[in-house]
Amino acid sequence: MTMSHVGPATKGAAPAPAPRRHIAPRTVDTLVQVSVIVALAAFWEFGARFGALNPFLLPPLSTVLVRLWTDLLSGVVLVDLGLTLYRALSGFLIAALIGIPLGIVMSRSKAVRWFFDPLISVGFPMPKIAFLPIFILWFDIYDTSKIIMVAFSCFFPIVAATYAGTTALDKWPIWSARSFGAREHEILWEVHLPMALPQILTGLQVALPVGMITTVVTEMLMGGRGIGGAMITAGRFADSVGVFAGIVEVIILGFVVVKSLEYLRARLLIWHPETRR
Amino acid sequence: MAATAPAPMPSAGSPRLYHLAGTLLRYAPVAVLFIVWDLLGRTGLISRQMLPDLADIFSAFTTMLLSGDLLYNSARSISRAATGLGLAVVIGIGAGLLMASFRPVRLIVNPIVQLFYPMPKSALIPVVMIWLGLGDSSKILLIFLGCLLPVVVGTYNGAKGVNPFLLWSAASLGASRAQVMREVVLPAAMPDILNGCRTALAFSFILMVSSEFVIATDGVGYMISSLGDGGLYPAMFAAIFFVAAIGFAADRLYAALVRRLLRWREA
Amino acid sequence: MRAASAQRMEDAATGIAIRNVSHSYGPAGHGVLALDRISLDIGDCEFHCLLGPSGCGKSTLLYLLGGFIPVQSGQIVTPKGVVTGPGPDRSIVFQNFALFPWKTVRDNVLYGLKKAGFAADERARRAQEYIDLVHLTGFEDSYPSQLSGGMQQRAAIARTLAVDPRILLMDEPFGALDAQTRRVMQEELRAIWRRSRKTVVFVTHDVQEAVFLADRISIMSARPGRIEHIIDVDLPKDRGEEILEDSQFIQLSEQIWRLVREQAIAATRGAH
Repeated sequence: MTMSHVGPATKGAAPAPAPRRHIAPRTVDTLVQVSVIVALAAFWEFGARFGALNPFLLPPLSTVLVRLWTDLLSGVVLVDLGLTLYRALSGFLIAALIGIPLGIVMSRSKAVRWFFDPLISVGFPMPKIAFLPIFILWFDIYDTSKIIMVAFSCFFPIVAATYAGTTALDKWPIWSARSFGAREHEILWEVHLPMALPQILTGLQVALPVGMITTVVTEMLMGGRGIGGAMITAGRFADSVGVFAGIVEVIILGFVVVKSLEYLRARLLIWHPETRR
Repeated sequence: MAATAPAPMPSAGSPRLYHLAGTLLRYAPVAVLFIVWDLLGRTGLISRQMLPDLADIFSAFTTMLLSGDLLYNSARSISRAATGLGLAVVIGIGAGLLMASFRPVRLIVNPIVQLFYPMPKSALIPVVMIWLGLGDSSKILLIFLGCLLPVVVGTYNGAKGVNPFLLWSAASLGASRAQVMREVVLPAAMPDILNGCRTALAFSFILMVSSEFVIATDGVGYMISSLGDGGLYPAMFAAIFFVAAIGFAADRLYAALVRRLLRWREA
Repeated sequence: MRAASAQRMEDAATGIAIRNVSHSYGPAGHGVLALDRISLDIGDCEFHCLLGPSGCGKSTLLYLLGGFIPVQSGQIVTPKGVVTGPGPDRSIVFQNFALFPWKTVRDNVLYGLKKAGFAADERARRAQEYIDLVHLTGFEDSYPSQLSGGMQQRAAIARTLAVDPRILLMDEPFGALDAQTRRVMQEELRAIWRRSRKTVVFVTHDVQEAVFLADRISIMSARPGRIEHIIDVDLPKDRGEEILEDSQFIQLSEQIWRLVREQAIAATRGAH
């Protein structure tokens, strides 16, 4: 369920017998993988340049990069990226600040659980993006409605993961803490939370990409600055170079954000067996 | 995910009726929300524009249902989502299995997956618009691309995580490579594959609605946004709740399917 | 040993007195009776083993002593009074170590000391002292997941001993270890107990382990758990590996083994 285990190069790379490997396999792997990216870029560039691909449908990479460079110099890229990142992260953080405590309280209070469990199990699988017009109606088309929409999307995976993580906890560390004389509210912070941390982080890792998708859609729908807005404007004006410049930006943004969260997970779970292999 | 699992109900007397009553009782808080909604509207604190009367929403819903608008647009949307998702599942499982089985495939596909997996797929909306215009095919392509990677990654992780002893014992019993794949790897990887497909199912709905908001001339997403643009808010709310209910129902149906497919894990 | 037994009654205020304790699991009225009217006095500074087949409720009795599960009927009295909940006077080592996996060895040991209210410099000193005592010097900054099972159990023991509890409860603490590590740990535990002088209640189903460690052994029957026999272990106080060859040790082990076997057989008969 963890989407962070993308890294097919590492995850579950079982100690399968590999009789035909002689050179350090990691170096070869890295080389091949880098060359795949280079080949892909080259195919894009030359395919578009020499007519194998229609340059409107796929403008040459160099043209896209030149556009990106000019936009970077004029500051447009940074403003768009910054706004998108700001909206995505604000919504995400609001969702975390509400979702994590609520998940914990749900696992400890029967009344709270009674009320929220069905709401969350109904809300979890719904396509939250469908509610966007309601948020536009309530909060207009500016940042407020965008951020609330993002927070609403991120909220469900976070609260569900926190609730699941804090519900069925191993009792032994809790009993140990009690036998040392820890009070129940101390145990919550000192034992429950660290024990549930892996699952809470998984919830955050599910929520963040959803938040990014939502941010881009809200920007496309409401217009204005931000990557989504810039891309849809370029699309409407048939500016395919602009669209692909946006794609390159979005790939970089997504990569950086998702990898940062993976890095944070590895740092926070340095004690966990999953971090060492 | 535990929060989403329906609570097991004690089955005594007429179990079916008991179960129904239990389910209704369990979802009482949803009704509480609607009551609060109604009361807020009645006090006049929030304008009827923002928070339409539930009765108005319901009558708008029946009108749309009887006129066939809602069903037509839902069918349009669902056919797009199902096509894109179906393609993604078939191709994704195949690609994931190939990646797990052949190192060269893995080495070539892996960097592409790494690069594109974290990308917010909704950014592809203008791209498919440029490639395929405003028709069905652009949305199907978008849903396909958005759903593909979760399936590939789920399948790959599942197939790669198969206990090597299972593979060795199957091979030692004389199973061919294809047989091992079909009879050992695929069932053993099934939980991960189904998990990937569930993520893909959720993405298909998000991308279906999003793309119809932005570029479409029909479908539920288009219907919602045009109702909103026209100020027909009770109808807009009704359509939104209907879409949310479809998404919820799809997930529940899928969960039931998964339970059937993974019966062997229970015992 | 007779004189010691007589004196034990007077020690009740400093030892542990278990009075008529029963315990059942499951719904009230028709639950499973796990412990049936247990009464037992454990003397001050005694090393007492609870021995019995699996399912005899020996761990339940230990958890009641620790205050982790509430006493349903009867009473347990320690020097600190009637047991109503967990407390730092009765520290426990669990079978699965129950270390905090997110804390290093040092921080695990410091946790108990902090809760016990030691001053910061005293905490650091004691933590190091007990880490050295269990031979984990050099592993202070390791996380539990980086250590072997034996090392994790030693860390758990250091964490528990460091707070200097009057009463030490041990729930099959060496059950998950391999035979060699187990033997070494038993010797170390016995030596530590000799030096620190505290009351130990040790749960095990291993006869040799019980005879090697204990001053007295309670043999329990299964379902419902009762104390069938209490055996004085009349062996030298200082016990090393050589005692395993001692004829008295072998004889006593065999005698106890027969008693435990009877209980185990009775338990399987009762089940059919």
